[in-house]
Amino acid sequence: MTNSPRRRSDVNARLLEGEMVVLDRKADLVHHLNQTASFIWQRCDGHSTRQDIADQLVETFEIDPDTARASVTVTLQQFDELGLLDRTLQ
Amino acid sequence: MLTLRVVGRTIGVECGELETTALLTATYGHMKGGHTAIDLHYTVGWDSSRSSFFIRREGCELLTAPDDGTFLAMFDENFSIELQKLRPALYFVHAAVLTRPDSAFMLVTESGGGKSTLCWALSHHGYPYLSDELGPIDLGTLEVHPFTRALMLKTAAPGSFYPIPAAALRSSRGWHVSAEDVPGGVGVRPTRLTAIFFLRRDPAAQAPSVRTISAAEAVVRLYANSLNQLAHRGDGLDAAIRITTGVVCFELVTTADLPACCRLLTATLNGVPAYFVAKQ
Repeated sequence: MTNSPRRRSDVNARLLEGEMVVLDRKADLVHHLNQTASFIWQRCDGHSTRQDIADQLVETFEIDPDTARASVTVTLQQFDELGLLDRTLQ
Repeated sequence: MLTLRVVGRTIGVECGELETTALLTATYGHMKGGHTAIDLHYTVGWDSSRSSFFIRREGCELLTAPDDGTFLAMFDENFSIELQKLRPALYFVHAAVLTRPDSAFMLVTESGGGKSTLCWALSHHGYPYLSDELGPIDLGTLEVHPFTRALMLKTAAPGSFYPIPAAALRSSRGWHVSAEDVPGGVGVRPTRLTAIFFLRRDPAAQAPSVRTISAAEAVVRLYANSLNQLAHRGDGLDAAIRITTGVVCFELVTTADLPACCRLLTATLNGVPAYFVAKQ
C-alpha cells in the first residue's frame, strides 16, 4: 500500500454529523464509517502520508501517537481490503 | 375485473376463474377502487393444461407458478416492481408501516427478520396498519403511502399471544390476514413518517432493547433495504439522507417476547414528537 493513500474517486460519499456514508456501487456495498475512520477517510487525498494523518489524529482527538498510528494502520488496511482505495497508485 | 388503486395509480387485474379471483381479492381487496384509466393491466388465472397459475402482461414474458403461495409471491413481486416504475419519484422501502394519530413509523429489516410478525403484534395495540411489505415515501412531504395488502405471516406468532384469525387465507407460503381483519384498523391516506425502527433479532437476549442510532448509520441501513435507489439522484443516497434526517431512527433488538417488544416500542414512540420538524 502506498504511503500516501488516495480514496477511490468513483465512490459516492457523504458526511453526516461527523460520520461518513460511502456508497461503492461497483461492489454493491454501502459503508458507515465512525468518526475516527471518517477523519482518516477525508485525509486519504493522495498527498497526506500515513504519518501526517496520524499526527492530525493526535492533535484533533488528543490521543497518544502510538494509538494514532495504530488506528491509521488498521483503518487503512480495512479500507484497502474493502477496495475503497485507489490501487493505481500502488 | 379487479380494479385496485394504490400510490395514485389504477391497476386492472382480469381473473380467469373463481379460485384466482378469490386469492387476489383476499390479498388485495382493501386496495379496491379506481375509476380512472388503467395504468397497469394483468391477466391471471389457473391453466389446467399446465397445472399452474399464470400471470400475463402485454409485451412481457408469461409467468407461471405451481401453487397459490408462489403465485401470490410472484404477483406481489411483479406488482411492486411495476409500481416503482409508475411512481419513480417515490422512494420505496422494504418495510412494514403502522400509524398513530397524524404520524407513521416504519419497521425495517431484511426478509425473514420479523417485521410482519411484529407488525401483526403491534396492530393489537391500537396502531392502524399501512403495510407489511412496502413503504413508498414522498420525498417532498415525507409521507408514506398506504400499501394495504394482506399481512403475510410465514409462521404463527410464538406464544400464541396474537393468534391468526380463522378467516385468514392459508397458502403454501403462510397465512394472509386481510387488511379488514387487522385489529388496529387500516390507514387510508399518506401519513407523515416520524420514526424508523431498524429491527435486529437476538434470540439470546434476555429482553428487547432499543437505542437511538446516528444519521449515518440510519442512512446505510435504510439504503440497504430500499428498492429503487437508482431511480433517484446521486444513486439514491441523497434521498436516504433526506428521509433519515427528517425522522428519528432507532435500532430495536427483538426477542420472542412480542408483548415486551410492543411495550418497548410504544414507550419509545411516546418520546417522539407527533410531527418531527427538526433538521428540515
